[in-house]
Parts: sequence; C-alpha cells; structure tokens
Amino acid sequence: MARAAPTFGQKLSFIFFITLGSLILYIDITSNNFQSIKNGFKSFKISSFYIAKEISIEPLKSILSHSKSKSQLVMENKNLREALELSYLNNYLISKENIFFKDKEIIKKAYNENKYKFEYDIAYLKSIDPNMYKCCDQHRMFIEIRQNTDNSYVESIVFNTEGLVGQIIGESKFYEVLLLTDISHSLPIKLNSSEFFCNAKGSGRSGYIICTYNPLVWTKEVKENQIFYTSGLGGIYPKDIEVGYVSSIEAVDSTQTNIEIKLLANPLNGNVFGVLSY
Amino acid sequence: MVSFLKRLFLIIFINFIDQNITLLFSKIFIIIPLTFLAFSFYVYKSYKNISPLEAFSFGFFVDLISDSYFGLNTIIYCSTTYFINQNANSFKLFSYLQICLFFGLSASAYVGFSQLIINLYNFSYETLLVSSFANIIFCFLIALIASYFPKRFSIKL
Repeated sequence: MARAAPTFGQKLSFIFFITLGSLILYIDITSNNFQSIKNGFKSFKISSFYIAKEISIEPLKSILSHSKSKSQLVMENKNLREALELSYLNNYLISKENIFFKDKEIIKKAYNENKYKFEYDIAYLKSIDPNMYKCCDQHRMFIEIRQNTDNSYVESIVFNTEGLVGQIIGESKFYEVLLLTDISHSLPIKLNSSEFFCNAKGSGRSGYIICTYNPLVWTKEVKENQIFYTSGLGGIYPKDIEVGYVSSIEAVDSTQTNIEIKLLANPLNGNVFGVLSY
Repeated sequence: MVSFLKRLFLIIFINFIDQNITLLFSKIFIIIPLTFLAFSFYVYKSYKNISPLEAFSFGFFVDLISDSYFGLNTIIYCSTTYFINQNANSFKLFSYLQICLFFGLSASAYVGFSQLIINLYNFSYETLLVSSFANIIFCFLIALIASYFPKRFSIKL
C-alpha cells in the first residue's frame, strides 16, 4: 500500500517540532532547568530497580540460601568484604601508610591544633553510568550517605580508598557527585615544591584531568611522572592531597602548554566512599 | 493503546540492550545506536505516515531514559521521520543494498550529531569512521537475518 507524502500542514508540524526540540536542547545545554526532572527520573529508576529486585530476586536468593549452606558462606564473605572495605575507608584518613596527604603528620597537627575538622560520612554508590564515564564529557555519579544528618553535603568532597573522586553538587534523595574528570569540573592543583600552581579541568576522559598554563608566566619546568597535589585555593578541597601524576605534556604554542594528569582514584573501583565535610 | 505500550516497552528494552553493548563496543571505537535504528525501522515499515508528535514523544522519552540532553534525540527522530515519510514510496524502488546503506549512513549521522553535542571536547573522527562501517555492516546483517528468518516470528507493531 502506498503511503501519501506529507502534506503542507504536516511539514509545518515537523518544522515546529524540530524547532521546539532545538529550543529545548539549547535550554538544557545552557542551563540546569531540566536537572530536577532527570534526577527525579533517575531516583525513580533506581528505586524501582531495587523494589523489583527485592520482590523478584531476593526471595529466590533467600530460598537458595536456605537450601544451600554454600550460598550462606558467600553472603557472609560478601558482608565481611564490605566491612573490611568500610574499615579501610574509616582508617584511611588516619592511616600512616596512606598516600592521601603529602605530609603524613598533617593529621596529627590538625587534631592537636584544631585546624581542620575531619569529619566524614560513609556513602554507598547508588548509580554511575559507565557508558557516560567512558565515552562522554559529563561524568557524574549518585551516592547515598549512611547516617545522613541534617547537614548539607553540597560542596563536600568525596573520596574512595585510592584518593579524591569529586565533589557533591546536588542533593535530593541521592547525592549527585561531580567527578574530577567532568569537563565542567575545575581543581586547583600545585606541584610538591609549591612553585607551580594551575587549575586542572576535567578532560571528559576517564582517569585524566588537564592543566593548561602559560609557560611565559610559569617558568618552572614540569616533567613527566611528577606528582600533583591540591593547592587548597578553591576552598572546596583541603590542601596537599595527592591527586595524580603527569602522564604527558603538550606544548600547544608559545603561550599555552597542556599537562595531562593521570588521576590516582578511579570511581568505578569499589562501592564505598567517604564524604568529607571540610 | 496496547500497540503504543508495546512500542514503548520495546523501545525501553532495546535502549537497555543499546546501553549495555555501548560499553562493550566503545573499546573498539564503535557506536551502534540500536534505539535509533529500531525507531527508524519502525517508521520505515509502518503502513501509514508517523506523525511528528509521535516522533517528538518517542525522541523525548529516549532522551529521558538514556540520560542525554533533552532535545537531542527529539530533533534527530523528528528529522528522520520526516525524511522517511517524504521518501517512503521512493524506498520501494530501492534495493536492499541501498536501503541498508541509507540506514547505516543515517545511523552514522546520528553518531556524529550526538557526539558533537555530548562529547564535543573529545570528538573523534576515528570513532565516526569506524562506526559508519560497523553500522552499514550491521544493517546488512539485519537485512540478511530478516530475509532468512521465518515470517511467523515477526513482531507486529
């Protein structure tokens, strides 16, 4: 059966809807007006997934665990692993072996001089889109904070057992974390010697941030594998936290050089995070 | 209504598969937009013209479930629907090869456009080129399977 070609009215409708779509796209890119709808849908998706899992898979799992002692051991193992991971995280800031801070004595000083308030909460990963993390510019994840107090966690930093992961930018049912690699993220960093400072922007690629500077202004030579630390200048991240090391240096022109920094922490490793109110 | 719900669940299901295979294929610079191809195929196979409102609604819904910018899929779905509606009768004169080429290239256009919007800072021509070949081959495979697959198993939308 032949299909009639679109009439003039239908063509106008198409033009109208394409224009409307373009307008919505422009508004969404330039502002955060649709963020609440997206977050609401994500919360709904995550909650429905858990409810569906509770209703469908969990009863089956419990039947199997009753029938098999092996599965009980697996569950016990899982719980122990989680507890171990939690204890690693709990001891992370005060552990002497950690690489979180450049100066290992800073924790002692901080406690003695009441300089910093190192209170942190434990958070669990709720969702992260690995597709977006691997392919695209927008790197976000959602976490749920255990023993949630009335404090606002916005602008709190998030870390895992490997180091810094990002900062919280929004709160609803779950907390939205802007990862360091997101292109809209900016992190003030410096070298160990404090002779070189720059703002590292997220590269949009997993595991890398990019620091762009003018070599005419900063004459200090930066070499590959040199370690970068937070400078504490932005007011969000505490100073002297190890961020990553230089993986490549690209001289764009005489006034611009890009340093690619490989981050130490990967947000995809582990489900437990620490949220530090600094 | 039942037909609409069927289409909606099919879109959700295909989008779920789409998101899962994307991670797998992204390592070899291939993006196959399954949801877009499924919708294009639906518009192509439909006996009547798909209305712009339907294309807009599906595009908007896909934007929501795939966590992309609102309007991105909407524009592409509306444009594709218009193009297929406009040339629906001309397609009948084309061979399978030409149809596959058309769908493969339109999927590549989708990849290019969406990468420009969501991944501008790391836009890769390598991904675009490899994806174009992969999409054309994928469309050939689908056409081959459709030709040899028993008709009684086909889904009526």
